[in-house]
Amino acid sequence: MRVQVGDEIPELVKHPTTRQLVQYAGAQGDFYEIHYDQDFARGVGLPGVILHGLLKAAFLGQLVTDWLGERGTLKTFEVSYRGIDQPGRPYRCRGKITRVAGDQVELEVWGEDSDGNRTTVGTATAELKG
Amino acid sequence: MAVTSIVDRLRARVGEAGPPRSATVEAGHLERFAEAIGDPNPRWLAEAPPTFLVALVPASVHLAEAEEYGKGWLNGGNRFEYLEPVRVGDRITATGKLADVYEKSGSSGSLLFIIFETEYVNQHGRPVARLRGTAIRR
Repeated sequence: MRVQVGDEIPELVKHPTTRQLVQYAGAQGDFYEIHYDQDFARGVGLPGVILHGLLKAAFLGQLVTDWLGERGTLKTFEVSYRGIDQPGRPYRCRGKITRVAGDQVELEVWGEDSDGNRTTVGTATAELKG
Repeated sequence: MAVTSIVDRLRARVGEAGPPRSATVEAGHLERFAEAIGDPNPRWLAEAPPTFLVALVPASVHLAEAEEYGKGWLNGGNRFEYLEPVRVGDRITATGKLADVYEKSGSSGSLLFIIFETEYVNQHGRPVARLRGTAIRR
């Protein structure tokens, strides 16, 4: 696989819904009410229910594994949550190659809300097969 | 002063490990997880996608006193390190520990940062992944 610093990988746009948040809460076993109970979420100062950080991480994980496929192995994956995201709005996942050293590749990944704010930022490293 | 004492009480627990917890990676759970994150890749019917381990076993260190600080929890970030693939049928044991606790003042008041580290070991005794998570009380 030819990869060059500066290359953007194919983007992934997700369309999270409140239904998906409930599904994710069940699948992860994270039943914190800010993800499905509007009144509870507002009670702790949020505008309404918000996406699980780890759901956004999963979206970015998909971005990277869709790009990598079977051509290499994911070694590290790190995300920081910088802002909240609400369901009903598209979530755009993007990534860019930041470093290539032999078979080691590093990517910057991020998720953008519908206003273009990077609410999740992170890095992934992968080892490519020879 | 009450707030300071919560931080001190938590800081005294840094290094504390929770009990190891084990779980088997089940095909049905993997399928439900992949469906929940909306990732249709058939690879995830047999192998764990990058964030699946957080769903396998609940966090093993419970910090009741942290809930006296602020109004709610936020997830600050997660860092995964992958050492070996995790597949259907693997028996994984997770051991979590409290790695750090510190307070920071932000634009909207003080925040409490709690860092957890978890190591996941498979049925052959080999570490498969490590996770570092930052939980925030606000």
